[in-house]
Amino acid sequence: MTTVVEHPLSAAGLHQYHNVIGLLSASGPGFSGPVSVALGSDGLLHVASRANPNQPEGVRVTRCTFDGDYVGEFNGWGEAPGQFIWVTAIAFGPDGNLYLSDENTHRISVFTPEGEFLRCWGELGDGPGQLNRPSGLAFAPDGTLLVTDSLNNRMQRFAADGTALATWGEAGDGSGQFNMPWGVAVDATGQVYVADWRNDRVQKFDSAGGYITEFDGKDGGDGFARPNGLTVDGDGRIYVCDWQNDRVQVLDASGKVIDTLIGHSGTSRWARTFLNANPDIEEKLNLATQNIELKRRFYRPTAVAVSDDGLVFVADCYRHRVQIYRRL
Amino acid sequence: MRRGGFGATPAELDKYSGWGYGATVEWLLHPEAQPGLDEDIIERYYIDWKESRNIEGALTETVYRMNGNAATRPLQEKVALFWHGVFATGLAKVLHEKTMLNQIDMLRQYGLGSFRTLLERLARDPAMIFWLDNNFNHKDAINENWGRELLELFSMGVGMDGEENYTEDDVQEAARAFTGWTIDDDNVASIPFGKTPWLFRYDPADHDDGIKTFQGETGNFNGDDIIEIICRQPSTARFVSRHMYNFFVADDVQVPAWQNTPPADPEAIALLEAEYFRSGYDIRSMLGVLFTSDFFKSEEARFARVKSPAEVVVGTLHLVGDLKFPRVGVMNTALECRYMNQDLLNPPSVEGWHTGKEWIDSGSMVERINFVADELGNPAHRGVRSIVDALLERGTELDAGAIVDGCLELLGCVVLRDDNHAALVSQAAELLENGADTESVILNALRMIGSTREYQFA
Repeated sequence: MTTVVEHPLSAAGLHQYHNVIGLLSASGPGFSGPVSVALGSDGLLHVASRANPNQPEGVRVTRCTFDGDYVGEFNGWGEAPGQFIWVTAIAFGPDGNLYLSDENTHRISVFTPEGEFLRCWGELGDGPGQLNRPSGLAFAPDGTLLVTDSLNNRMQRFAADGTALATWGEAGDGSGQFNMPWGVAVDATGQVYVADWRNDRVQKFDSAGGYITEFDGKDGGDGFARPNGLTVDGDGRIYVCDWQNDRVQVLDASGKVIDTLIGHSGTSRWARTFLNANPDIEEKLNLATQNIELKRRFYRPTAVAVSDDGLVFVADCYRHRVQIYRRL
Repeated sequence: MRRGGFGATPAELDKYSGWGYGATVEWLLHPEAQPGLDEDIIERYYIDWKESRNIEGALTETVYRMNGNAATRPLQEKVALFWHGVFATGLAKVLHEKTMLNQIDMLRQYGLGSFRTLLERLARDPAMIFWLDNNFNHKDAINENWGRELLELFSMGVGMDGEENYTEDDVQEAARAFTGWTIDDDNVASIPFGKTPWLFRYDPADHDDGIKTFQGETGNFNGDDIIEIICRQPSTARFVSRHMYNFFVADDVQVPAWQNTPPADPEAIALLEAEYFRSGYDIRSMLGVLFTSDFFKSEEARFARVKSPAEVVVGTLHLVGDLKFPRVGVMNTALECRYMNQDLLNPPSVEGWHTGKEWIDSGSMVERINFVADELGNPAHRGVRSIVDALLERGTELDAGAIVDGCLELLGCVVLRDDNHAALVSQAAELLENGADTESVILNALRMIGSTREYQFA
C-alpha cells in the first residue's frame, strides 16, 4: 500500500481530497466502524466507533486533531448510566458538551468533551420523551436538540436537559412521514433536514417541524440509496452520505446535486506508523493486483461534518477511517 | 419441515397444511421465488454484517441469515448448510471472514442447481483455493491437495461397493489440470483499513497445458474438463445421493465407511442416483424426488436423524420468533452452535463434521438442553407467547394431558416415547394440583419438552 500523495478533485471539482485519519483498531489511535463525527469547540475531531459484538472495548469516542494527532478516547461498554453499546451519533451542544445516542438503551447521554459522564435520559417507548432506537442528533440555533426517533418514525425535540418539547412525523412515505429515519441536520436558520432512510430521500422542515420539501438526489443520475448522515455548511450546502451508493452527494440549498465525493484515501499517519512496524503486511498488501481502487473509495460513508474553514470530514465506516476533503 | 427446513411455527404448519404436501415441496424447492432478507436493515444495525472481521462475526452472520430465511427460504439455507458440511472449508486456516462468507453465499446461489456448475464454482472459490493450497499448485511443482480432496471428499469418494473409485495417478492428473487456478490479494490483514475479498484468478502462464489421463480418458484437460468427467461417474452419483440421504432423511454411517459399507436404504440411493443422471446432475430435481418419495415420508424416517447444532439453534430461534429483527446479543446466541460442537465456518477438518450420534457428548447434550429449555420457557418470545395464548384460549378443558399434548402439537407435532409422555403429564398434573397457574404449567411443559431426547431428532 504505497502512500498516495496526490490530491484528486471531486466529480465537479468543487472539492479536493485533503487527508485521511484512521486505522482499524479497537483502542488507541484508530477507529472500529466509525459511525459519527463531531467537531468540538476545543478544535478537536470526535469520532464515535460502533465496533462489533465481540470487541466491546472498540465501542468508543476517539478525540484527535484535524491532522490526526491522537488525543484520547472514552468508552464504557454497557447499559449503566454513562455507558453505551450501540452508539449511533454524537453532537456538540451549545454548552460545549457532547451528546451521544445509543440505540440499545434508547438513551441520550451527555459527556464533557473529555468523556466525563454528566447525565442521560430516555427509555424505550413511543410516548412523549420516550425513544425507540434514537439515531441522528443535531442542535438547533435555539439550543434545542433534534433526535431522530427512528423506529417510532418521528422526530423529537428536547431541551438540552432532556425535557421533551415536541414531536412530529409518523410511519409512511408521504410528506412528513418517515421510514426508519437516520441522520438529522439543522441549518443556521433552524430549518431541519432529515435523512428519511428507507424512503431514500431527505426531507426538509421548518423549525417547527412543518414540511417544506424533499430531495431524492436524482438530478439525472441515481437517486439516494438509503441516505443517512448529513450536514449543512455555512453556505447552505447540504452534504448527504448516500450510504448504499458509497458516496457523498453535495446539494445546493435548492436540493440540486452539485458535486459528488467518492473517496480517494491514501495511507493515514496512523496506518503508516503501523506499516513501518509491520513491513511483512505491507509487502502482502502490495501483492494485490485487484481491488486497488476499491480500497481508496468510501465504503458505507455514514456521517459527515464540515468545519468553518471548509474541511469536509466523512466517516468512512467500513474502512475504519475519516476521509477529509477541502472545499475549493 | 424439520428436515427440509428449520421446523415451522404453528401458523406456518397451518399454512403448509392448507397448501398440501406437493405444493409445499414445490415452494420449498424454489426459494428464489420468495422474498429475501432486508439486508439494509440488518446492515444498519450490525455494521460489520458485510465485512465480518472475526470468526464470531461471520458465525453470527450465518446463524442470523439462516434464522431470517427460515420462514421464506428455508431450503436455500438448509442446502447451504448441507454443502458447507460436504465442502468443509474453515476459517482456522482461511482467516478471511468475508471470503468465507462469500463461499457460503455461493453455496446458497448454486446449491440447488447443477452439481457440475457447483463444482465449477467451488473450484474457483477463493476460500477453497486457499484452504486446499491450490494457490501453491504450480505448473512446475504441483500441489495435489485440492485435486485429492475434490475426488475423495467432494465428488466421487474413495470407493463404493468395496472397490476404489480412482487411482493415485488420477489425483496427480487432476492436480495438473488445476494448475494456475489461484487467487489474488491473498492478504489476511485487517489493518490498516479492513480486508477486501479475495478474488479468483486464472494464470495461464502457470497452467500445465500438457496431455493428461484421468479416469481412463486422455486429453489436454483443464479443471472444468476434470469436473465434467467426474460428474459422469456412477461413483459421483452414489456419493451425492448418500450425502443427501444422510442429511435430509436419516442418519447413515460416516463418509470414511462408505467404500465398504452399503447404504442403509439401497433402493432410496438407487432412486436418487437415477435422478442424478436423468436430470443432468440437478440437485433440485434430486431433492424433489427425495421429498416426495415413500422413504422420506415413511414412519422409519421420522425422527431418524440427530439434529445438527445449527438445526437445534436455528430451529428453536425460528419457533420462538427471536432474532427476526436485529438486536444486541445475537452473537452470544449464535455461539451456541459452537458450544454444541458445530463451529460453523470452522469445521474440524476438510472431512467436515461427523453427524448422527457423533454430535452428542455429555457437554454438548447439556448445552442443547439448556439452550432449548431456556428459549422455549421464555414467554417474552412472541412465538412462545403465541403458543401459550393459543392453549389458554382452549379454556377450562385444559387439564394436564391437554397441556402436554397441546404443547407437543404446537411445537411441531413432536412425538414422545410413552414413558416420557406419561412423566410430563404426571408432572403437569402435580403442578396443577399444587395450585400453579395454567400459564406457568404450560411454560414448564414447553421447557420439559425441549429437554427431551425426542426434541433433538429431526
